[in-house]
Amino acid sequence: MRRVVVTGLGPVSNVGTGVADFGASVRAGRSGVSPITSFDASGFPHANAGEVRDFAPKELVERLDPAEWGRSSLFAAAAARLAVADAGLDPAELARAEAGSVMGTTSGESQIIERLTEEEVAGGWESLSPHLPRQVPASRLAYAVNRELGLTGEAMTLATACSAGNYAIGYAYDLVRSGAADYMVAGGADSVLRWAHAGFYRLGAVAKHVSSPFDRDRSGIITAEGGAALVLETLEGARARGARVYAEVLGYGLNCDADHMVSPHPEGIAECMRRAHANAGITPDDVDYICAHGTGTPANDLAEATAVLDVFGGNPPPISSVKSMLGHTMGASSAFGAIASLIGMRDGFLPPTTNFANHDPALGGIDPVPNEARPARVRIVQNNGFAFGGNNAITVFGKVS
Amino acid sequence: MNGTRAGVPTLAITGWSAVSPIGTGADGFTEAVREGRGGGADVSGMFDAPLPSDRAHAIPGFRASDHLGRKGTRHLDRSTALALVATKLALEATDADVAADGRVGVVLGTTAGSVRTTSEFSRDTLVQERPYLVNPVMFPSATINCPAGRSAIWHGLRGVNATVAGGQMSGLNVLRYGAHLIAGGHSDVLLAGAVEEFSPHMAWGHRALTHGYDVPLGEGSAVFVVEDAERVRAQGRLPEAEVLASAFGSGAPEDTARTLESAVTRALRLAGVDADGVWGVATGEHGIAGIDTAEDEGVRAALGGGPVRVRVKPLVGECNSASGPFQLAALLARYRSDPGLHGRVSVLTSVSADGAAGAAVVRGRHMPGPTATTAPAGEGSP
Repeated sequence: MRRVVVTGLGPVSNVGTGVADFGASVRAGRSGVSPITSFDASGFPHANAGEVRDFAPKELVERLDPAEWGRSSLFAAAAARLAVADAGLDPAELARAEAGSVMGTTSGESQIIERLTEEEVAGGWESLSPHLPRQVPASRLAYAVNRELGLTGEAMTLATACSAGNYAIGYAYDLVRSGAADYMVAGGADSVLRWAHAGFYRLGAVAKHVSSPFDRDRSGIITAEGGAALVLETLEGARARGARVYAEVLGYGLNCDADHMVSPHPEGIAECMRRAHANAGITPDDVDYICAHGTGTPANDLAEATAVLDVFGGNPPPISSVKSMLGHTMGASSAFGAIASLIGMRDGFLPPTTNFANHDPALGGIDPVPNEARPARVRIVQNNGFAFGGNNAITVFGKVS
Repeated sequence: MNGTRAGVPTLAITGWSAVSPIGTGADGFTEAVREGRGGGADVSGMFDAPLPSDRAHAIPGFRASDHLGRKGTRHLDRSTALALVATKLALEATDADVAADGRVGVVLGTTAGSVRTTSEFSRDTLVQERPYLVNPVMFPSATINCPAGRSAIWHGLRGVNATVAGGQMSGLNVLRYGAHLIAGGHSDVLLAGAVEEFSPHMAWGHRALTHGYDVPLGEGSAVFVVEDAERVRAQGRLPEAEVLASAFGSGAPEDTARTLESAVTRALRLAGVDADGVWGVATGEHGIAGIDTAEDEGVRAALGGGPVRVRVKPLVGECNSASGPFQLAALLARYRSDPGLHGRVSVLTSVSADGAAGAAVVRGRHMPGPTATTAPAGEGSP
């Protein structure tokens, strides 16, 4: 089996597009949260989201015609294009190589379904735009990446909700590790949706202003969007071409709570951590930093902290949530977590949990890296992702010396 | 083009099920394929909303409670209900150790989840007095991974749980992903398949996508119990079939025939099989000239005109993500029905409108069913 490394990062986010802007924002603790503009949110008591207001697909993609693709597919393609540039790969050579993409998502092109629904409500079933149904399949996220980059290999979209980015990184790792592919672009994409905002609000899971993970008074998520992509290739190949290596993918763990569709389950999460450690060949002592799922709902953060204390004991490594800044980017979120972690590993800092005011005694001795990035030498990162359906996925990255 | 190579196991299929317009369970599906009995039903009473046509290859008589009991089945969306029944029947059909805690998982394909549930949820944000007055009970069903997640809860499966949004490619996607998950030690036994529901939303969308052609829309789910074939043999068990290799490629939609040709050729090479040895090929041809032509050209270029063409869509309708699994089920039905096919190799192909194409190489075993006789079904001259 071959060793697999990350050589390129492509964030398209509400706190910055590209590694430099995104990294600077995460380090400075900037917020990407603002009043919703993509739909009429005046009827919602909580009307903030993490929209990527300056997303300009025409400036980021070279081959795709934005009119033919939904917003999530364009996020995916734009992020992939940035990641390949960051990896220093010649696009023409990449297109000739054994290369493909795996993208994760929660809701795929649900914005298209919302548009069709609006048409049905306004004008009846006969009035649906005939060009829109073609844009509905969520498979188009990965196809958009392959088409944008001219990749001829795997193109798969994993729709495992809010941990999908980690599932995608895991499968891309498998494909490169086993030799089925030499390069893979992996990540996730999602778009802000009226129906999802309504659903989370109805569950009492949307914060009024901002999300404050691990805080005693945390009150929920901020629905958000974006695209996040990583380039994976072999360590041998990366060294041969003199590429900068962010980190090695050491392994990943997947499991299912099989308990409840929406409530997180501490035992299931702890088991997923153990699986990830075993798969990566590490012990809890090896982990320097945990990039949390950290949604900011009372239930998630309690379940996550409980699992961390169970697996790591009373003095766990620092655990912070970039969702405090980005909001919850759904299927992209664990890919954003990976990107933030790897920039921190390269530049020597831990991303902060912003909006933090009071320690929650129910979360034991966890250290959420409150409010300010912390200088740190990080060798091994555990990147958490949990989801509806009890779909737990954790990736583990290690510095290559 | 990516193919499975060293380090990825041959998959054994040790049980399967179908919930389909032509029959339920492996036996029911096999019998319908053997007899060439197609679906097609009056769907006019299924929904309050209007439909573009009174007939479709739906399963209007499907009731989850008939298979699962009444408890817990009231608020299920149709995709989830179909998946729960298909996974239940698959678990009952296998001799795999499905009680091994944490080692049994689910990998289900879809196109975009329950589009009806998502759309109705979205509709409520427009038509209710307040945009947030949605039905929270249906929120999980509006999310794409609900059928897989609920299947795990229903059957207590704490292994890997994944949903692949692969559309037409889903059958190949779940087999390929499943093989890698097992190779990586993440699971021992996987329920791999796909589910697609019939609804007004799918029917009107389908009408737009198939404009000018008469292609009935179907629905259903097929699920296969897959394991590492070597492990199955070491346990002294005999699988019904093996997926020897697969390959997947993507390209410009106008290059689909060539992409498919190289996928078939590559999958055969990885399987160590000559094109001459292939008795049949189960295609996803569904009656739309452009994309059918590409699939036909790709198959002929790779395999010549010899292999029997097994077409299941004339029987089950266009089932989108469930198409590939129904094609595989049709191949297994043929192995069950015809002793002459025992141990011989067949090919499964899929193409998508977005330029993806792929193939899997299957070797099946003759397993005489309750009413085994031979008669070709669902096929024409290639």
